[in-house]
Amino acid sequence: MSYLEQLGVLLGCCVAGDALSLLLRGRLPGNILGLTLLLVLLICGMVKPAHVADTADFLLRNMAILFLPACLGVLDIFADIKTEILGIIAVCALTTLCTAAATALTVHLVCRLQRRAGKEGGA
Amino acid sequence: MSELLSSTTLWLGVSITCYALGCRLQQKTGSPLCNPLLITAVLVGALLVLTGTSYTVYNQAGRLIAFFLTPATVSLALPIYRKLDVLRRNLLPILAGAFVGSLTSIVSVIGFSRLFGLSPVTTRSLIPKSVTSAIGVALSEMLGGLAPLTAISIVFSGIFGAIILPAFLRSLGVTDPVQTGLSIGTAAHSVGTSRAIQLGETEGAMSGLAIGVAGLFTALLVSAGSAFLG
Repeated sequence: MSYLEQLGVLLGCCVAGDALSLLLRGRLPGNILGLTLLLVLLICGMVKPAHVADTADFLLRNMAILFLPACLGVLDIFADIKTEILGIIAVCALTTLCTAAATALTVHLVCRLQRRAGKEGGA
Repeated sequence: MSELLSSTTLWLGVSITCYALGCRLQQKTGSPLCNPLLITAVLVGALLVLTGTSYTVYNQAGRLIAFFLTPATVSLALPIYRKLDVLRRNLLPILAGAFVGSLTSIVSVIGFSRLFGLSPVTTRSLIPKSVTSAIGVALSEMLGGLAPLTAISIVFSGIFGAIILPAFLRSLGVTDPVQTGLSIGTAAHSVGTSRAIQLGETEGAMSGLAIGVAGLFTALLVSAGSAFLG
């Protein structure tokens, strides 16, 4: 399929995601529902990777630039957050460390439990 | 001159050129500090300020770029699908790690924001700051946060995590590649993943999977939390 046709498939998932979001009264963003929908379609085999891969990989490789407008929006709100900048930086740094430590600890515990269960199952 | 400066084509061209430059720099140095988005934002931001161009004028080009955000987010299904066998083999550690990590991120943002006396709007903008921008910005808008603040916090957290986390995890005694990869992906999304790939293949694959799984968990947690708290 051509790039344009693949974009059509992706946009179809976007629209379906938005429709689902409306049905759920905005409880989940449409783009996340679209992502979930495409994943389900891929797993069911109703959409083959080749139906979306070229366009999807192009978009994923260059995803960073798509956030440029949002980042530059800081110019517009700078006056509002000026006084809080140090706090914002501190929160971002500290919570990143907390998140990583909590994840590592959880994975460690789960892997140990699984190994123990595996041993008992084998015995 | 002023007509040219308010041209959509000009700012679209400037944005893409600066981004291409940022990508080259990243490839040359391989350092997470040379984040292409950060470089692009600083360069284009400086040009906007120097030429006295308002964000409203720039955003005519910005809207064209941001249009592709939704199909790009939907595309995240593809890397998850490709790593489905890795996901199946490590299902429990991945799901449990990403779930606890996402919950910790949300709770610690609320806690530290209160501690540092940040305003409710700022706190709402920071809540989804550990997940990939596509999901984080959408969640911030849903919560009534400031999308630009969320976007920049996500980039900052990613760069900070990519630089600090490998050493931080080692100092905690974490040496297992599965643990390292999942932690970096959950805490520092795709920027962290680019660093995890350098650590090893397992670290990279785990980190990549954690981006999508943690993103979905955060979306569910935020959605459930906001419904519960009204």
